[in-house]
Amino acid sequence: MRTRITIAAFMAVGLWLRTAAAMQPQARPAGTPGSSFEQLSRAADQARAQNHDDEAISLYERALELQPEWDEGLWNVSSLLYEKEHYAEARDRLRGFVADQPKAGMGWALLGLSEFQTREYARALDHLRQGMTLGTGGSQGMARSVFYYAAVLLTRFEMYDESQRLLFEMARSGQTESFLVEPVGLAALRMPLLPDEVPYDRREMVRLAGEAALAANDQHRDDAEKLFRQMAAGFPNEPGAHFLYGAFLMDLRPEEGIREMKRELEISPFHVPARVRLAEEYVKEGQVEAALALAAEAVKLAPEDASTHLAWGEALSAKGDLSGAVRELEAARDRAPDTVGIRWALFRAYNAAGRSQDAAREKEAIEKLAQTGSQP
Amino acid sequence: MLVLVLAAPPVLLAEQKSLDEIAREADAARTADRMQDAIHLYRQGVGVRSAWQDGWWWLGSLYYDQDRFPEAQAALTRFLTLAPKPGPAYAFLGLCEYETHDYTHSLEHFRKWALEGSPGTTELIDVASFHWALLLTREGRFVQSLFLLAAKAERRGGSAALTEAMGLASLRMTFLPEDYPAEQREKVWLAGEAAYYFAVQQADRAEDYEDKLLLHYDRAPNVHYFRGTLFGFQKKREAAKEEYRQELRISPQHAPAMMELARLDLDDGQLDEALSLASRAASLDPKNAAAQHVLGQTLFAAGQVQKGAEALETARRLAPDSPSIRLHLATVYRKLGRTSDAEHELAVFNALKAKQGVLLPPEELQELAHDQPGRTK
Repeated sequence: MRTRITIAAFMAVGLWLRTAAAMQPQARPAGTPGSSFEQLSRAADQARAQNHDDEAISLYERALELQPEWDEGLWNVSSLLYEKEHYAEARDRLRGFVADQPKAGMGWALLGLSEFQTREYARALDHLRQGMTLGTGGSQGMARSVFYYAAVLLTRFEMYDESQRLLFEMARSGQTESFLVEPVGLAALRMPLLPDEVPYDRREMVRLAGEAALAANDQHRDDAEKLFRQMAAGFPNEPGAHFLYGAFLMDLRPEEGIREMKRELEISPFHVPARVRLAEEYVKEGQVEAALALAAEAVKLAPEDASTHLAWGEALSAKGDLSGAVRELEAARDRAPDTVGIRWALFRAYNAAGRSQDAAREKEAIEKLAQTGSQP
Repeated sequence: MLVLVLAAPPVLLAEQKSLDEIAREADAARTADRMQDAIHLYRQGVGVRSAWQDGWWWLGSLYYDQDRFPEAQAALTRFLTLAPKPGPAYAFLGLCEYETHDYTHSLEHFRKWALEGSPGTTELIDVASFHWALLLTREGRFVQSLFLLAAKAERRGGSAALTEAMGLASLRMTFLPEDYPAEQREKVWLAGEAAYYFAVQQADRAEDYEDKLLLHYDRAPNVHYFRGTLFGFQKKREAAKEEYRQELRISPQHAPAMMELARLDLDDGQLDEALSLASRAASLDPKNAAAQHVLGQTLFAAGQVQKGAEALETARRLAPDSPSIRLHLATVYRKLGRTSDAEHELAVFNALKAKQGVLLPPEELQELAHDQPGRTK
């Protein structure tokens, strides 16, 4: 997907940067502009207003030579350069712009988008997130692009759950789902690839996974199941396929879900989420020893992953080992302090262990998180 | 003192005072996190006195922190012309040059930084050695690159960027992470994960990724060569040989696979095959010191001492800093009765060995760990 962002999308920032009077197109002075900053900047603005982009860029560049920190000029030239797909140049100008205007969400967002195009993915993700935090000035097109690219990058950086949350949020807010199918499929299958990087022979699998996950998210369970089954049957030896189908089945028909998870572990013996989901299910079914073994393995494989400590903590709690449960749940909380589910589990464990003060503190934290709308 | 002050030209006094004031304000702005003000003041300061070393240094650092690499590069370049002890500045400059795609100078400055003993914080060492490794991969110096990357993996653990870098080097792809073909991404990721887990000594997880790599890329060039090297490290000689042979079925001109196979054959005393492979590798890649080195060792082992010396001399010419080539050459010279030449090579060997840990290529370090003076394979 390529993003086209019109100059109109940048007007919010433009307005914020300059007075309304200064925004009005000026009459173009006859002949070549003079060499003073005022003359050059006025001529640049005028060329931009008349869609003479190349001329505007050149004039902005000349004006910026005289006043390198001229924010409005930096912004205007950056947006023009981006529009013309000169991403590296846009990026360099935007870096100067955000250094001077660190609260300009649009600036960070456009910088992130430029860096995406120059394939500086780690920086792109950081800056898109910064843009999301600060806001993109009410531009829906920009917000959509920023969310989309942040989500696909989160998947590439193996932050699949965060990516899925973002993508489902986009789907709920009425984004065209066809546009989200591949990114959702990749995140669901836990493949750290951008949509453009999907190998040809796995395109169909990714499509099925994405459509199924979106259908499940929309509560269209029959459609989802049909698609998941088709995916697992069509790609029986592919890592990730059975986990995904199993995770879906776990809520409907746990026995079948367990079977799919076990199949996944045969294909991917180090699959952490499959272990975590199985452990959770075994706790529900009262198979505590099996749950403990799987959760302990998951922690060993991914000690920095909060979900593994949560699973182990819940399993220990089910066994009656409250001090062990608290230890693991605290470890989970330390790794994901904004995850409400972990806080609730810890709250229950503290209560069960008679640590009422600690429980009260957790409750307070949960209430605070609920106000800020954090992760479930 | 008074005389000196009075003797100073009035203009210099004014400049000095003004610069002191600017410097104080700039430092205060910097420590108060008012970075734009600090940049403005340091720029003002270097405008007042263009030889103000600290001013250029801080300008370079502040621009670097803001990812403004062209500006940082210019400031650090200026700083380096003034600083008698550049310390970590070479690394920062190398990083800026990487970002501005001035790769030749970037490599040069990373090398200079290493020669100074890699000064800087652990974060700088990690970042600089990582980017240096990326450039080494781009240059086709995969072993050196992997040596640096594996060291980082052991120190810092994994990351998506490290995986990608290790994947490119493992598959001998002369690309940077920013410019390799998108359709190769999965292959690079899988190889990178295998290499990473191997580096952190989790061979079973490495194997899992190797299996996944083979699932879709069994016929892709360099995949079996990569597996061969992993088996080689594990001393699984037969498995390694099989992988190299498989690579040669897929890529019949794969000189590195020939070299590795020749090395293993040489160790196993299979001199005919070793000689045939080493000769082919050396003729396919005549400027490759390692190929000439293996050929020289093989010829020597096969009793062709004079020819062995010639191949090793070629290797020495291609890689004059290689201690192991010197060591093997000393042995061959001794056999030829060229005692003074042998002593000379041994002396050079000892001098080069002393450079261990600075710039010695990692394959040399590996060889040195196993070799003793006077011994050859």
